[in-house]
Amino acid sequence: MNPITPYRVRIRFAKLEGLRFIGHLDLQRLFERALNRTGLPLRYSQGFSPKIRLNLASALPLGFVSSAEVLDFWLNCPVELEEIKKSLQESLPKDIQIIDIEEIDNKRPSLQASLRSSVYRITIPISYAQEELIRGFNGLISKETIPFIRRKKTVDIKPMIESYQIEITPEASVLTLQMSSTAENNGRPDELLSFIKVDPADVIIERIQLIFEE
Amino acid sequence: MTIIDKKVLDKILYHVEKPGRYVGGEHNMVLKAWDSCSTRVALAFPDLYDLGQANLGLAILYEIINDRPDILAERVFSPWHDMEDAMRERKIPLFALESKRPIIDFDILGITLPYESIYTNVLNLLDLAGMPLHASERDESYPLVIAGGQACFNPEPMTDFIDAFVIGDGEDVIFEIIETYQLWKKQNLDKLSLLLALAKIAGVYVPSLYDVTYFEDGTIKSVDPKNEGVPKQVHKRIAPQLPPPIKKQIVPNIQIVHDRIAVEIMRGCTRGCRFCHAGIVNRPVRQRKVADVLKAIDSGVKATGYEELSLLSLSSSDHTEILDMSKAVYDQNKGRRLSVSLPSLRIESFSVDLMDELKDLKPGGGFTIAPEAATDRMRAIINKPLDDKILFETVETIFNHGWLNLKMYYMIGLPDERMEDLEAILETAQKVLQIGRRLRGNRVRVHVSIGTFIPKPHTPFQWAISEDPVSIQEKIDFLRDGMRQAKIKLSYNRPDSTLLEAWLSRGDRRLGKVIEKAWQLGAKFDAWDEGFIKEYWYAAFQECGVDPHFYTNRERELDETFPWDHISAGVFKDFLLEDYQMSLRGETRQDCRDGCYACGILDCFAQVRPSNEDVYWGCP
Ligand code: SF4
Repeated sequence: MNPITPYRVRIRFAKLEGLRFIGHLDLQRLFERALNRTGLPLRYSQGFSPKIRLNLASALPLGFVSSAEVLDFWLNCPVELEEIKKSLQESLPKDIQIIDIEEIDNKRPSLQASLRSSVYRITIPISYAQEELIRGFNGLISKETIPFIRRKKTVDIKPMIESYQIEITPEASVLTLQMSSTAENNGRPDELLSFIKVDPADVIIERIQLIFEE
Repeated sequence: MTIIDKKVLDKILYHVEKPGRYVGGEHNMVLKAWDSCSTRVALAFPDLYDLGQANLGLAILYEIINDRPDILAERVFSPWHDMEDAMRERKIPLFALESKRPIIDFDILGITLPYESIYTNVLNLLDLAGMPLHASERDESYPLVIAGGQACFNPEPMTDFIDAFVIGDGEDVIFEIIETYQLWKKQNLDKLSLLLALAKIAGVYVPSLYDVTYFEDGTIKSVDPKNEGVPKQVHKRIAPQLPPPIKKQIVPNIQIVHDRIAVEIMRGCTRGCRFCHAGIVNRPVRQRKVADVLKAIDSGVKATGYEELSLLSLSSSDHTEILDMSKAVYDQNKGRRLSVSLPSLRIESFSVDLMDELKDLKPGGGFTIAPEAATDRMRAIINKPLDDKILFETVETIFNHGWLNLKMYYMIGLPDERMEDLEAILETAQKVLQIGRRLRGNRVRVHVSIGTFIPKPHTPFQWAISEDPVSIQEKIDFLRDGMRQAKIKLSYNRPDSTLLEAWLSRGDRRLGKVIEKAWQLGAKFDAWDEGFIKEYWYAAFQECGVDPHFYTNRERELDETFPWDHISAGVFKDFLLEDYQMSLRGETRQDCRDGCYACGILDCFAQVRPSNEDVYWGCP
């Protein structure tokens, strides 16, 4: 059906505050339309109702911002990367900022398959007493298990926490967390907040890195 | 006031369902510098973003207003219950999506009123904006509240709350209103002066400038202007040219209904179906040329990235160049991933040809036809003649040309409806299913959708009685049992849910207090199936001492003055009456393109016509 070898393109992009309340499926649709507007020779999926072939590494939960999202999409023929970047950026809302772009070997595994972990930065306002936060978090992390009820099923969050760091500044308390991001073990930093009595609505959670298996 | 505090807003957005409804920021949104514009208009659709953002009229106004350098338009929709609670709790006033400014900061609030079941949401909207509900209690410090849309052809139930209504096409009137407003503002006069000036604009109705008197039986005695220079009757505005297609349609970030490009190919209809409100109030027929349709499609696709498009009109088959259009649309877009729907097709094999011309651009899914009635007798009553032979031939063609799903629209509760009419719906559907099975086997699906007829103002049925929900329910039960046995899918509305539309669409000014009371009791989102709670409304009627049956359960006297008689859709009341009497005798009237009946609309656009010769007008 599609004899030409597809040209696989990967972008890293930031999702800024104006779009933090747009969810994963909506973001996917947003990219479809933005790509469509560029007039690039887009590759479509095969089958009964072909769709633009694109692939987001990981669903960013509603309300989060990010400086490290990754998207793959495919073209029917090679196009100058800078040109792709320029035309796609022009057709995207300003709250999506392309950071860089590269060509990817078609044989490389899919983004989802190779994603291992995510790093999040949680900025907690000083209206939450800092010492209490540190105490609360240290207490939490020293526990054997951290059971949390996710869609009526209890999961243990503890093993999903790969590393952490708390930084106290006069402006805010900043918690940096690395959590696993695989299909089986998908860590949600906002779930930890309830244990330290922080309303996730009060904080900014930013994904600052996606870590892939190479 | 200033912009809503982002921190406070974000905090509540974090906890509400679908927060994307309240944030704006879509592709093609226009955000102008507040201080660079002298007049700011908030355009409101009083229902959820998910519904309102698809409204074509609103999108047109948004674009043409923002095209002017000194004016800006922003959007506002009704917040869902969870968001409303959060806003009230934190005392966040209703704000516009673009600038996040409170609505009360705007100069003009323009509300779309497409149907009656949206009225309580209007009250809720005004209340959330922090404005007094009653127009009479809002002085010049508040935004001017105007309303437009199809429901405004009988504005009377909403006259307590709206300062001025736009009757008819709003594309030209809106600028006359804005200019009048700007002049008034410069002169620093009181609100009455503004209202008097607005009343002089053709197509603008200022209800507070009229006195209504009643007879003892509750019917209208007369409606009279209170002031010099206020017209006795307000004639609707007719845009001589269809507005240019939208250049930069907003592309929502969340999924909404009708999430696609919409291109209006024709306005108005000459068929004369007697139940059809849109067919009368949108006269005369004006159509867009094929070349302009093509331009609109091309720029629409490029500006939005949509892969779905709909060509809109009341009756696509009646566009004089429709076959050429289908072919040209295919030629233009072959190779593009685009699905093009062409709804509102007549029941004839030609419609299938039209769809075939679109080849692989035609949407997947079923074919839809709208016979509305199943016996010749009823078809004559409603003036939608259809030969059963042609119906079945068309159905054969539809199945033969590849479709497996067929949807058929029918109406119940029509004047003088009998058991045989309902039986015929059932029999027709069964026969259609048989045809489908014979031609294409067991994969064929037939879906019947039943609408309840509601007599509408400005139609020949404005005199008719509206059937009560109990007997409608019996009819639905009959059809449901029959269709179930025949393995035909049936969909319908709860009979209760059409009550409100029946009361309000032919209502008068006395219903204002009923609407207000119902809203106070908790009524809102009445257009939603789960939203309409009839107990609120019955309680409101009772408390206000108004009898709901007065509006539905009586056949009007032929010489009765209606609450909307001083609003003219351009069609003579005598013409409608004659048509109603023909209906009672079971007589039909042909499409008026084949012979004009002088319905009255000619006089209405006589002035604009000579200067717009290039437009195809459906009238002689
Ligand atoms: S003026 Fe004549 S042709 Fe035009 S809508 Fe009226 S009846 Fe039809």
